[in-house]
Amino acid sequence: MAYTPQYGPGTSVVAANRRKQMNPGQELERMRSITEEDVVLVLGHRAPGSAYPSAHPPLAEQQEPECPMRKLVAPTEGAKAGDRVRYIQFADSMFNAPSQPYQRTYTECYRFRGIDPGTLSGRQIVECRERDLEKYSKELIETEMFEPARVSLRGATVHGHSLRLAEDGMMFDMLQRCVLGEDGVVRYVKDQIGVPLDRPVEVGKPLDEEWLKAHSTIFHSLVGTAYRDDEEYVEYVKRIHSLRTKYGFIPKEE
Amino acid sequence: MAKIERSQKLFLKALKEKFQGQDVESETTKFYCFDGVRQSPRKREFMKATEAIEKERGISMYDPERCHLGGIPMGQRQLMTYEVSGTGTLVEGDDLHFVNNAAMQQFWDDIRRTVIVGMDLAHQTLQKRLGKEVTPETINEYLHILNHAMPGAAVVQEHMVETHPGLVDDCYVKVFTGDDEVADDIEPQFLLNIEKLFPAAQAEELKAEVGKSMYQAIHIPSIVSRTCDGGTTSRWSAMQIGMSFIAAYRMCAGEAAVADLSFAAKHAGVIQMGSHLPARRARGPNEPGGIAFGLFSDIIQANRKYPDDPARASLEVVGAGCMLFDQIWLGSYMSGGVGFTQYATAAYTDNILDEFTYYGMDYLKDKYGYDYTSPAGDATVKPTQEIVNDLAGEVTLNAMEQYEQFPTMMEDHFGGSQRAGVIAAASGLTCSIGTGNSNAGLNGWYLSMLMHKDGWSRLGFFGYDLQDQCGSANSLSMEPDRGLIGELRGPNYPNYAMNVGHQGEYAAIVGGAHYGRGDAFCLNPLVKITFADPSLKFDFAEPRREFARGAIREFVPAAERSLIIPAR
Repeated sequence: MAYTPQYGPGTSVVAANRRKQMNPGQELERMRSITEEDVVLVLGHRAPGSAYPSAHPPLAEQQEPECPMRKLVAPTEGAKAGDRVRYIQFADSMFNAPSQPYQRTYTECYRFRGIDPGTLSGRQIVECRERDLEKYSKELIETEMFEPARVSLRGATVHGHSLRLAEDGMMFDMLQRCVLGEDGVVRYVKDQIGVPLDRPVEVGKPLDEEWLKAHSTIFHSLVGTAYRDDEEYVEYVKRIHSLRTKYGFIPKEE
Repeated sequence: MAKIERSQKLFLKALKEKFQGQDVESETTKFYCFDGVRQSPRKREFMKATEAIEKERGISMYDPERCHLGGIPMGQRQLMTYEVSGTGTLVEGDDLHFVNNAAMQQFWDDIRRTVIVGMDLAHQTLQKRLGKEVTPETINEYLHILNHAMPGAAVVQEHMVETHPGLVDDCYVKVFTGDDEVADDIEPQFLLNIEKLFPAAQAEELKAEVGKSMYQAIHIPSIVSRTCDGGTTSRWSAMQIGMSFIAAYRMCAGEAAVADLSFAAKHAGVIQMGSHLPARRARGPNEPGGIAFGLFSDIIQANRKYPDDPARASLEVVGAGCMLFDQIWLGSYMSGGVGFTQYATAAYTDNILDEFTYYGMDYLKDKYGYDYTSPAGDATVKPTQEIVNDLAGEVTLNAMEQYEQFPTMMEDHFGGSQRAGVIAAASGLTCSIGTGNSNAGLNGWYLSMLMHKDGWSRLGFFGYDLQDQCGSANSLSMEPDRGLIGELRGPNYPNYAMNVGHQGEYAAIVGGAHYGRGDAFCLNPLVKITFADPSLKFDFAEPRREFARGAIREFVPAAERSLIIPAR
């Protein structure tokens, strides 16, 4: 049976944005360009230019057991090389950041391979092989999934997603890993865990409120789209709940 | 589903106090300008105290400006004070950690050191087996002896050590019965007078449940249960009960009938506050993980004091339950550290949950005609799926909108787990109070969690991925997992055993179902009567007020050791 993903319900712009991010058939808008070296710097896992530390020998050099799953699933480049598993973690402001924790997880599951995402209220982490991570990170930072003032990379001390914004429009970060310059450009001066960088990494200028509202994936009655107004979405959640209540996890209606 | 208007937001006063001189509806503020951790008077006090401690012991201690994040101390944003909900008392967050709050400690002491022991089995043994006469006079004499013995005094033997009364002055035993004639003959000092302690309708219901039986409400010394554990309570009490029967009824200390009295006091006639936990939890009886939610709601007495406000009564259970189950049970017994307090206090500070819950009450009245100020069984709404979805859906949407409309309130509850617990609690309480059905309340909780997760694309910490996303299937209908009604569930119920921000609220949802019906008790009438006792150190009718008194250092606890240590 062919399965056609629906990527969620809803008639609002928020619902449409969610579907767009999740759907790998739709290309995400590229908003900025960041070099591979800059990605490596802000991740903070290895020095730019250094070899990838490995967790095991390359698969080609290993004695792989006879296994139908191994034949079925092609390894990613990172897995093939035996890279260690590292992470990128984002904090997304509730003031219309373009992606939000569960949305990130769903999107990554649809678009990337070999990943292990974790979803919390103030942060979302995705772990994978290091060279795969760098490729995925570049996409997550360069596209419409990212916004310099309302999204930030934070390995630890993530506090800020629900706080009021600073007067310059930046999301609070007690470590101030990134700062808004007088020229209007946001620069990372520390890596995601908070270690100062040898040189700043530019991630571009913050986008305006209009763009944020049009690209957000969070309902928000003050600065964006009210959840209540997307009746289809609310009814969908209630229906799922009712079916689970009546029939457990075999959702069928009499 | 249609939004209703509430002109007065209960949380506004607290927000204005916390964020003085600021527009509480503004989306922006200042950061990085508060002098870090030194902005808090309590943190400054901690730093000063540390100076003296370090000089005395020669080992370093509290050093937030060096040890926090490699030299970046807390306080880059405003460190907030909190108003304990329903009290008007502003406190420091630190003062709501149970280590810093004597009232919180005493709350748990008073539960852990309590057992109820029936007297009927013992009286039958005395009368039928030994042919001794049991009269109100002999019962009074027995109680006099028992109140000598229970704190740790000898009644039979020669040359025994005993405890200093000044250290165990919180220990005593009272009795209660549903038989008015017998009650009249018990000395008032030993009697829990149901007639006087409860509103008339509740008293009648409770007396009918107790009948002609008589029970002992026993509170062993706090210092004993604190030094040992909850399992000690029934053992300590049974030993002193046995010795007091021997003394009061002139029995032979070694005769076989004593074994019957011991068996009754230790097993057959004893009611623990918490049941024994499985080995992986490694706790005996009378520990927090074994307290059924229905029983916990009976421990809290707010519905006795505020019978016409089931919302208020339920909110007191939330406060007490979050403190015990989140801060003490999960936060320390099961985990450790200080983080759980920050989660838990959200549900009983700044009147935020209160506002969301009263919105639900107004909605119930407006749409379904249920007037929460006149709770009664025949006034409740039928708990259909459609109605649960409507109630929980509307309360959830309103709560989310309030957080959105007041960014300072979102900042107040800065963690998703805090918000998820509070929003779902208001939803669950509205459903349980309005329908009089605890499982409908739990089902409302789970719809709220699903709606919240989809609306904001976030919920709480990892644990919320488990219980809150499968709870629909084990709440309103018990068929899928052959589960329990809410009253009989507890902190160790499958799926409930690991998540902060749930158990206190679940207990309140269970209690709310009964408060909404005007019931006198939820699960156990004996427990309800036992904790109505005004002689207890902690006032169980006003747990939030007591916690606030503890926070501002006005609460006087038991089990102080100044009598036996050098004066400072």
